[in-house]
Amino acid sequence: MNDKSEGRGKVTDIIETRGLTRSYGEICALKPLDLLVPEGEWLSVMGHSGSGKSTLLNLLGGLDRPSGGSLWLGGEDLMALSQDGLARFRREFVGIIFQQHHLVPYLTALENVMMAQYFHSVPDEAEACSALERVGLGKRLKNRPGELSGGEQQRVCIARAIINSPRLLLGDEPTGNLDHANTRMIMELLKDLREEERFTIMLVTHNREVAAWGDRIICLDDGVLVREERTGR
Amino acid sequence: MISALKLMPVLLAWSGIAAALVRHVSGRRSVLAISCASGFIGGVAGGNLLLTLSKGEIVSSTVKSLTGTCFLCLWVVALAAFYRVTGSGGQGAPGEREKPYAFTVSCSALLAGLLAGAICVCRLAPQGGAPLLSLFVLGTAGVLLAVAAIGIEQYVPADITVTGEALLALVVSLLLFASSFTLQLDLFSPLSMKVMKFVHDFVHQFFESMLVPDHLFFRSDAWEYIGYLFGSGVGFWGGLLIWFAPVVLICAAIRLERLPTVSHIRQGAQRRKLLAAFIRERNCRLIVPCFAMLIMAAAVYNSLFPSVEYWDPKPVAVTMNDSGEIVIPKKGEIDLEDGKLHKYLLKQGGREARFMILSAPDGRLTVTLDACAICKPEGYGQAEGAVICYYCKTLIPLETMGRPGGCNPVPVPFKVGADGVSLDAMTILDRWSETVTTTSRIKGGGK
Repeated sequence: MNDKSEGRGKVTDIIETRGLTRSYGEICALKPLDLLVPEGEWLSVMGHSGSGKSTLLNLLGGLDRPSGGSLWLGGEDLMALSQDGLARFRREFVGIIFQQHHLVPYLTALENVMMAQYFHSVPDEAEACSALERVGLGKRLKNRPGELSGGEQQRVCIARAIINSPRLLLGDEPTGNLDHANTRMIMELLKDLREEERFTIMLVTHNREVAAWGDRIICLDDGVLVREERTGR
Repeated sequence: MISALKLMPVLLAWSGIAAALVRHVSGRRSVLAISCASGFIGGVAGGNLLLTLSKGEIVSSTVKSLTGTCFLCLWVVALAAFYRVTGSGGQGAPGEREKPYAFTVSCSALLAGLLAGAICVCRLAPQGGAPLLSLFVLGTAGVLLAVAAIGIEQYVPADITVTGEALLALVVSLLLFASSFTLQLDLFSPLSMKVMKFVHDFVHQFFESMLVPDHLFFRSDAWEYIGYLFGSGVGFWGGLLIWFAPVVLICAAIRLERLPTVSHIRQGAQRRKLLAAFIRERNCRLIVPCFAMLIMAAAVYNSLFPSVEYWDPKPVAVTMNDSGEIVIPKKGEIDLEDGKLHKYLLKQGGREARFMILSAPDGRLTVTLDACAICKPEGYGQAEGAVICYYCKTLIPLETMGRPGGCNPVPVPFKVGADGVSLDAMTILDRWSETVTTTSRIKGGGK
């Protein structure tokens, strides 16, 4: 947890960035960004393509290293972590839902969830079944991703993301490929899970309706935080 | 220089023992270092003194017996560990293992040092009487290596923990490894020989005495299968089984430890994390006994392929004279009284026999066949203070050469005259045929 004595954010801030930047050669994808996210908040990140949304998400998920600034997650300085430390951090602290699901095509839904358990600690089939039942896939355990609809695949992805009880759930346009009905179903599922598990959610989207499910919306444009608003939820 | 090279693996094994012991004790490394050092010096000094007084025999057998006793202790501890895990109730997660008192480990270090020191001195001078300078260098090297090993041990990853059983396995395996470099102390060859003898005696007693060879229900081809029990592999494989079984049991005991109870933890990820940590710790505890197994395998290799070069001269062809005698001059091209083994080959009328002449330490000449009454006739080689049967690796002290029985070479009647040694050719040929026929009667031959 963050330390007040160093002049940083409140002790309850799970995400804290100070002058966080990410450049790819000449291109500056993320310009110095200061951001505080309290524990338990649902933050929606909006912006056009190339605005730096996914770059920010990759940095917060420990999938990428910042070019500058500081990044604290759950009191841990990500800049100071080694590759092994970063891997441990990812498997214990973060759950990620991708737009393209990234499920292993030759594994069943159950095996895809158990694989996340395996990389975290040890697989537990009963617990994986229970996670899939929670996302409404109790009867599709043995189906491979190719035998599931887009919405169902995204629910497997959510089960995989929450199976290791992360403190921070990151979603990179999780409903980008879904129709309206499926989008609503996924968002309601995330809302219910958040109430049960009390994790922090950070969702990247360019859909205003999806962003409105969050407590707060921030907008990025050309790597700069241009607007911030409360949704009133 | 050659002595130093000879002793290097034994000394390294000793430093390994010191490092293993210090891993198992909390704090007080200096006490352990002192125990190791004093034990080793005591072992070197005491061993040399006894070797000088007893001419080697008693010390070798005592050190061998002590090493054997350690091996038996390992068996008992391994069985107890296995029973504790698999017996009624079983053993749950070990939780926080308590490390033993420094006093207990220091006593073990002292004893291990004594034994290691004695093994080293037996390797240095099996017949005793090593120069004082060599002993001083050996003692200093042993102490320095032990202290260095205790220092280096701090850099071994903390994950590699040692249970009491694994520690004993490692220490005993290192002692066995150190012993395997000295013929008189090697335990694997006598073990495999005992197994072979036990199996053969049992088969003889059981099938021949109890079932009678012509038993109605025994078809003759059944004996073909029984014959496998007489093969040369029986002793080797049986020996290997007894050799490795305690360490395998210890590994199994660690592997079969019950997982900790985690049902009270609500969060699945936390539950699994705890289980994963336990499994990882359990796997790490397997490293030491697995390493001990490798060392024991090295000891077996040393035993099977000793680095000692036996004196094994090519048999000199001899012929009988008109009166049917073979006369071998005492002095001449070959000096029969030089204390070395001399082999001869007699070929006569399609028959042949190998025999040996050796001057025993007390000065008497002995003439024996290059075969014993019980083993396959693979012959003998001469090592320091003994001849060794190539088949069963039994060491025959030079003092007992010329005496019949056991694995001693079969004695042959001879006369010593002024010219040399006279032997009756037909007697040698007959005795060789008789011996070889007996020992090759059963498939595989020998014991």
